[in-house]
Amino acid sequence: MTVLDLPSTRQEAWRWADMATLRAAAALPPTPAGVDPADLFLDLDGPRLCFVDGVFEPAHSRPGPVEVIRQIAATDHPLGSLAIGEGWALRLGAEHAATCIQIVHLGTGGENHVPARILLADDAVATLVETFAGTGWANRLTAIALGKGARLMRSVRLVQSEGFVSIRDEAEIGEAASLVSIFLGAGGMGSRIDGALTLTGKGAFAEMGGVLLTSGAQKQEAAVAVRHEQIEGTSRQIWRAVAADQSVASLAARVEVARGAQQTDGEQSLRGLLLQRTATVNLKPELEIFADDVKCAHGATVGELDRNALFYLESRGIEAPQAKALLTHAFVADALARIGEEPVREAFLADAATWLEAAL
Amino acid sequence: MLNIQNLHAEIDGKEILKGLTLSVNAGEVHAIMGPNGAGKSTLGYVLGGRGGYEATSGSVTFDGQNLLELAPHERAAAGLFLGFQYPVEIPGVSNVQFLREAANAQRRHRGEAQLSGAEFLKLARAQAAALGMDAEMLKRPVNVGFSGGEKKRNEMVQMGILNPKLAILDETDSGLDIDALKAVGEGINRIMRAPDKAVLLITHYQRLLDYVKPDFVHVLADGRIVRSGGPELAHELEREGYGALAA
Repeated sequence: MTVLDLPSTRQEAWRWADMATLRAAAALPPTPAGVDPADLFLDLDGPRLCFVDGVFEPAHSRPGPVEVIRQIAATDHPLGSLAIGEGWALRLGAEHAATCIQIVHLGTGGENHVPARILLADDAVATLVETFAGTGWANRLTAIALGKGARLMRSVRLVQSEGFVSIRDEAEIGEAASLVSIFLGAGGMGSRIDGALTLTGKGAFAEMGGVLLTSGAQKQEAAVAVRHEQIEGTSRQIWRAVAADQSVASLAARVEVARGAQQTDGEQSLRGLLLQRTATVNLKPELEIFADDVKCAHGATVGELDRNALFYLESRGIEAPQAKALLTHAFVADALARIGEEPVREAFLADAATWLEAAL
Repeated sequence: MLNIQNLHAEIDGKEILKGLTLSVNAGEVHAIMGPNGAGKSTLGYVLGGRGGYEATSGSVTFDGQNLLELAPHERAAAGLFLGFQYPVEIPGVSNVQFLREAANAQRRHRGEAQLSGAEFLKLARAQAAALGMDAEMLKRPVNVGFSGGEKKRNEMVQMGILNPKLAILDETDSGLDIDALKAVGEGINRIMRAPDKAVLLITHYQRLLDYVKPDFVHVLADGRIVRSGGPELAHELEREGYGALAA
């Protein structure tokens, strides 16, 4: 009865969380997905894993270096701690590389919980793409530890037609290591993308950002905290939200700079675009700085499409819906441009474009 | 080509154009001059179809069509080009992408074949070269980080690519140094000086008219044309100011 232990929206960190949709998603009876998991993979060579309702599906998988194992959640996060049981782990030794790993999570209803662990030894490199599709409540905990100079690029798209996806990332980023996680919420589901990134080594780089697209009565949110513990760390939190109809998109981003974490370079950019005035974008940028030699750029804005720009495009012959699509696409593109691999970036941009066509 | 009869227009309920009448034929260049606040930019926006600029009475026909009934993109497809006094910066959309979409949207509207990427690039490069604009600027986001002169050259590159029948150019000379002014003036002559085309130049000063010789000059004051004449009128205005004429 996990549902009883859910956080309350009376808690500040959960004030925008859509626990009603999460509960409803968990109670959805399983129905045939009508989606072939094979169609959810991008056309990339590389290891593939498919989980259907949180259960590993060997028929659609070729896991390569990724192990499928049972795990115990080592977290006190209220949702992350529920992600126990069968999951996956990627452990790479020093200087090893594993690229274009794809993980597909397909839900047919009810709740499913999958723990994951990514451990990269010194100078190891991995790239990973995750896709959430179908329905139900998908709950994930991903624990990440990067050794000296290790690099992880992770791209996650949420395209469930309904239900709820909750993601909790907990990462420790070692000396000169780099973590980039980019998220796209472009489905009809509710979501909570939740992260705690800690820069534990000198000169580490941490990035978590992306795009939330909401319509109808949908609610999506991202809540990320980045903690700089060592000197010369760099962090980026670049989020864009586009909200239509009566939907709500919420972005909470926090940067903590510990005493002594000098020459920290933090950037936080939260921007929301309202397609209708009935929609809501909540932004909560937070900085907590205990060092004195720190650069933390931050910006938070919510607005509508620029009427001058719309008229400019229309005056050149572009119809109003296309003009809006062009401007909205441009608004989200810079957040998705952070995805390093071109085919992945193109696929995410295409998902965003599909959403925009439907919403505008 | 363009026939404006007794046009009244308002912004936020305030009447700006108060019975403007003007007729522009193919092959002609008209200059509309006037003091600040006379309604010059409003005229451009009303003809372009900008939201909030409402024609309350009178008529405007363009090649026999009721222009005021058309959406802005339909006016463009019909062959009208509005050059902006302040071209808008559009981060995240490249000039090439914007202009190709625009050119092809107009072509679609007219039932013409679409330009391929290669065909479009060839056209865009040729127009950029003719205006003295670095082809690299075509790849940059629309007007972002462009100087005042670069923005106005970019307007002319757009005009060259879209090849309109009627260009309404609002203060195209503002913010230009002498080289850019010359380039823009030559651009207007090259693209628009043709028997089947026409230009309406909206300007405060006569200096652009040294490069683009108007056939007719009109003085706009308090929402109406108060005087019309030949090119000599521009010089008279320059000498004597608007005060004496509008009075």
